[in-house]
Amino acid sequence: MIDDDGNLSIDFLVGFTIFMITLIYVATLIPTLFIGLQSNSIDYDAVAYRTGVILAEDPGMPYNPSWETLPNISDSEILRFGLALSKDTPNILTPEKINRFFCTSEFVYPTDYQSRAVFGDYPYQFNISLQMAGSNVTQSVGDILPVDSTGRSVGTYGYSRRVIKVKEHSNATLDFSNFNVTSGQPKGNLPLGIYTQNATNQAFSVYFNYTYLLNSGPDYDSIAYQINPLAPSGANGLVGGEGALINLTGLQALPQNTGGIITTVNLSSISVYKSQSAAPLGTGQEPFGGPELNSTNPSQFLLYIDGNPTPVTQLPCNVTSNVSLFIPPGLLSYLGGGDSSTLLNITMQFRLSQQDWYLNSTQVTPYGAFNYNYTNPNITQPHLEDGVMEVAVW
Amino acid sequence: MVNDRGQLFTIEGVAASMIMLFTTYLVLGATTVYTPGDSHISDMQLEQIGSDALNMMNTPSNCTSTSCVSQLQQIVYESDYPATNTTASINFNTTFLNYVNNRTGPISDNLHYYAVVTFRNITNPSNSNSTSSYYLASNRNLNGVEHPVRVTEWVLIGPPNFPNGINLPLNAAATPRAVLVEVLLWRD
Repeated sequence: MIDDDGNLSIDFLVGFTIFMITLIYVATLIPTLFIGLQSNSIDYDAVAYRTGVILAEDPGMPYNPSWETLPNISDSEILRFGLALSKDTPNILTPEKINRFFCTSEFVYPTDYQSRAVFGDYPYQFNISLQMAGSNVTQSVGDILPVDSTGRSVGTYGYSRRVIKVKEHSNATLDFSNFNVTSGQPKGNLPLGIYTQNATNQAFSVYFNYTYLLNSGPDYDSIAYQINPLAPSGANGLVGGEGALINLTGLQALPQNTGGIITTVNLSSISVYKSQSAAPLGTGQEPFGGPELNSTNPSQFLLYIDGNPTPVTQLPCNVTSNVSLFIPPGLLSYLGGGDSSTLLNITMQFRLSQQDWYLNSTQVTPYGAFNYNYTNPNITQPHLEDGVMEVAVW
Repeated sequence: MVNDRGQLFTIEGVAASMIMLFTTYLVLGATTVYTPGDSHISDMQLEQIGSDALNMMNTPSNCTSTSCVSQLQQIVYESDYPATNTTASINFNTTFLNYVNNRTGPISDNLHYYAVVTFRNITNPSNSNSTSSYYLASNRNLNGVEHPVRVTEWVLIGPPNFPNGINLPLNAAATPRAVLVEVLLWRD
């Protein structure tokens, strides 16, 4: 007799088939559980966050010499953009790094930025923008944001916003417009630390004491508020450092035009003197060696005279009311040879057409020069300006 | 001999397997309700902006050898305890909203916040480690539906008296004090 052993029942077949179909159906549903975790925006947000952190909190690579001081020809040595002043001052950026970073004539979007700020193999599109508080000017690099005219986003993009401050460098403004002479004697109204004299050849000197500037800054020498002639360090210590701006305004009030004859004034040269050790106070320019530069071709400086927007390249030059001497970032470090014990004296020589009252700093201590320091009220100290930076990646 | 005991018949088997699998699916599916993939991103962005803003408010813009006080230090120092100083509140409101709402484009953001200050209350003679909190500023009350993030900043006050108008023990009056500014931050 044939028995049932070893046979599959039709019941079992039907049940097993339905079980398998349902199991397969459920298995195909499992990936949908993770749909919230695989959205592209997570990756975009992470990349935007990373780029935001790199730009706001990192000084970039190479750091010493700092990447923004490298010449254009060495762009391949720039490994990572970072706009922070130093690794100890997150969210405090420097204008030099910002300007170099947003220089789209030098760096090409997207490749240069992708490899130095965004990273990753995926060819992201991105937009990085920065705006100072109270300004309508936005510096930006990258694609146009996927937003409509009302600013509402069309499509998703990863986003990171950083609140930042930008260190504005120091400058000195000396205004002479209220100066006058009564009965042959100067009558006050001169900026602190400035004297005048009645002579034909006169000089105005500015004095930088690197040791003092590097060690006596406010807030325990925080680099954020320092007038720093050396940092950020540049190649061989020679191209780093901050700039300084000296404005002399209202100069037309100084000459008294004695006897009704108009005194004309010529800026005849700009000389730079240097010393590595402090000399006794009040000894004029003798303690300084040099001149390092004795120049009638002041192309190392940016010298603006009487509000003319083109820098003067050939001296002597006639001066009526204003002289603006901008010492560009890197020059103080170069002139001092990168040495932190440098004492530097930058002297402008003025030649008058006749004996008259004009700028003279020989009576000023120390070293007969206007001391560029942290305490003179005519010097606008380095300060921080608010701004905001946004990174969008899609 | 084969009998029917312990057997599962076709229709019951089908029903049971479907019920089990459907339950499994529901259980697995239900867990994702609590971890929606993207919500931590907007939280992270809010925390980022909030802590950046407090950090920058606590960074002085100008610093000389004689005075180096941040906006946040000034505001917290001026804010009175227990009664709230309205000038300090208004200053905090303006400054903080400027920082968190500013964008690089023309359209600014619209965030809401509620800020309190917490400090160690050394005026309490019975418990020198007790802490007190007081309201600093807000631009909207938290109504329980919103989902805020919490950002904090330690602020160093002093050495002048803090809080104002309280007679501190003499040895404490000349000491700088760390107080905690806590901000709840959310978006509509």
